[in-house]
Amino acid sequence: MADIKTLIAEFEQVAADPAKSVAALKKETGKKLIGMFPYHLPEEIVYAAGMLPVGMWGGQVEIKLADKYLQSFCCSLIKANFEMGMDGTYKILDGVIMAAYCDTLKCICEDWKVAVTGMPMMAMYYPQNRKIAAAVPYMENEFKLVQEQLEKIAGKAVTEADLEAAWEVYEAYRAECRKFVKLVGKMPKTLNATARHYVLKAGWFMDKKVYTEKLAALNAAIEAAPAEEFKGAKVIVEGIMVEPVALLDAFVENDVCIVGDDLSHQSRMFRVEGRKEGTVYEKMAYRIVDAYADPLLLDEFKEHGKELINMVKEYGADGVVVCAMKFCDPEEYDYPIFKEELEAAGIPVLYMEIEQKMDSVEQYKTRIQAFAETLA
Amino acid sequence: MYFLGIDIGSSSSKVVIIDENKNILARKARNLGTGTNGPEMVIAEALEEAGITEDQIVYTVATGYGRVTHTKADKQITEISCHGKGVAHLIPGARTIIDIGGQDAKVIKLTAQGNVDNFVMNEKCAAGTGRFLEVMARILNCSLDELSDLSMQSTEEVEISNTCTVFAESEVISQLAQGTAREDVAKGADNSITSRVAGLARRIGISPIVVMSGGVAMNESVVRSMEKHIGYDITVAPHPQTVGALGAALFALESFNKK
Repeated sequence: MADIKTLIAEFEQVAADPAKSVAALKKETGKKLIGMFPYHLPEEIVYAAGMLPVGMWGGQVEIKLADKYLQSFCCSLIKANFEMGMDGTYKILDGVIMAAYCDTLKCICEDWKVAVTGMPMMAMYYPQNRKIAAAVPYMENEFKLVQEQLEKIAGKAVTEADLEAAWEVYEAYRAECRKFVKLVGKMPKTLNATARHYVLKAGWFMDKKVYTEKLAALNAAIEAAPAEEFKGAKVIVEGIMVEPVALLDAFVENDVCIVGDDLSHQSRMFRVEGRKEGTVYEKMAYRIVDAYADPLLLDEFKEHGKELINMVKEYGADGVVVCAMKFCDPEEYDYPIFKEELEAAGIPVLYMEIEQKMDSVEQYKTRIQAFAETLA
Repeated sequence: MYFLGIDIGSSSSKVVIIDENKNILARKARNLGTGTNGPEMVIAEALEEAGITEDQIVYTVATGYGRVTHTKADKQITEISCHGKGVAHLIPGARTIIDIGGQDAKVIKLTAQGNVDNFVMNEKCAAGTGRFLEVMARILNCSLDELSDLSMQSTEEVEISNTCTVFAESEVISQLAQGTAREDVAKGADNSITSRVAGLARRIGISPIVVMSGGVAMNESVVRSMEKHIGYDITVAPHPQTVGALGAALFALESFNKK
């Protein structure tokens, strides 16, 4: 049985230094790497083309170059991505895929082509009305357009068998991630907020097949281990992502365990299981159709609050911590609605507006500690 | 047995010493905050006022921005919980606390039992905090006390539209250059800070009894302006600057008894 702490340390090594991990990935596999902007992108096609998708989730960088294209009211995540594109951090990538999920992303597809040269950029568009019948064939067509561009980069054609194999890899990956997030509550000390983050983040910078095998080993080890006694608070985190790590450390310092998440960086990307019938592109399209309570995807019934209330019950959480990415419009539109619903349900909510690069997290530490004191 | 609460803020340090019956033996404040020798000085002054020595303190709780740096504390608790505790002790029935300190502003909602139910804090800039008033006092060439007196003499309200302290500084300088009365500018500064904090308060809901604590509560013109903005009468906590330290001392007593 693999040692839990050793496995967590291995994930941490990958997640703590993405640039180094991605360079090693390219060297070890010899495969081309395709950068995946946030959010919901067709990684399966990249994998089917014999290349590896890697996550582009910004970083704690000083914005110097991106200001030329992005105003101060653009979210720090996309700004960081743009900065790292312009300063050459992402030059290791052989291509980039992005989709216009928000106003900032809509604008930067064209900016990127001008500002970041030497790397193909594949822009794609998801339907706003994702539940209507026309949405699926429309998405299939978008996937085909991306496939054609990826085939040029890969220098090979993608067959249906390649797609089927990639789909299986990704379904296995998503299933293992879903299993992991449900197991965290069993070991709130070992799988503290920071460790949980590293385990899930590592998946963005590894071959998904290799990652899934390692995560399965961790899950098996957790299942075999005794449950940890924990007297601290249990929370669900909501938002795009929770970084910098110093912020997560504040949860750990105050005995607050993140038992579940509603984050774009984590569960929103893997919580929907694919359908069993249809072609791979149909199944990929239906994952978008079936996605729920995701601020980046139109939800005419506004079920975000209901989902958070369900999660609080399912995970036995004491409250919800909203980590709102500053200037993220889709998140900000949802917040007043679900805040009211959570309060009506008697669920304590802590709201924190965060940015990717925060020089000081002291005030956030006070908020997290005070929230923990309130829950106690 | 004596219990010490110390509130180490960004611009001042406050200490309260109580006995096991919650009687206050000393209450001291110094305008020297975290990173200075203010905490040591104010502890020494409080011990002297209480007429006891340091070894007679059986439990210490530190709170405030500098709470984690005070190594002598047995425990550290946030200023949110400590202000809640202090106000609930001083003013039973209080349901809303507006605490404006040197560097941040907080609104705390209490349950009927006096426990913290919810809270909001200002974002990381100095808008809506005591620092804003300090900057205004410097431009108007007066002390913080005089700033309050000036504001009370205002005859015409002047709007300071920039909430950012840095931009507001430039705006006020140009107002003065245009001949606007200092009194009216001081009143404008009060409105700027209170409208911002009132917005914060509305985020969690305001219920009476509303109490103001923290150093800025000593500024009468700010309190009156705040009443206007939130639409409720405000009770200023006795010795508002030391309410957090009192809460810390009460927590020290509770923690000792639980040991």
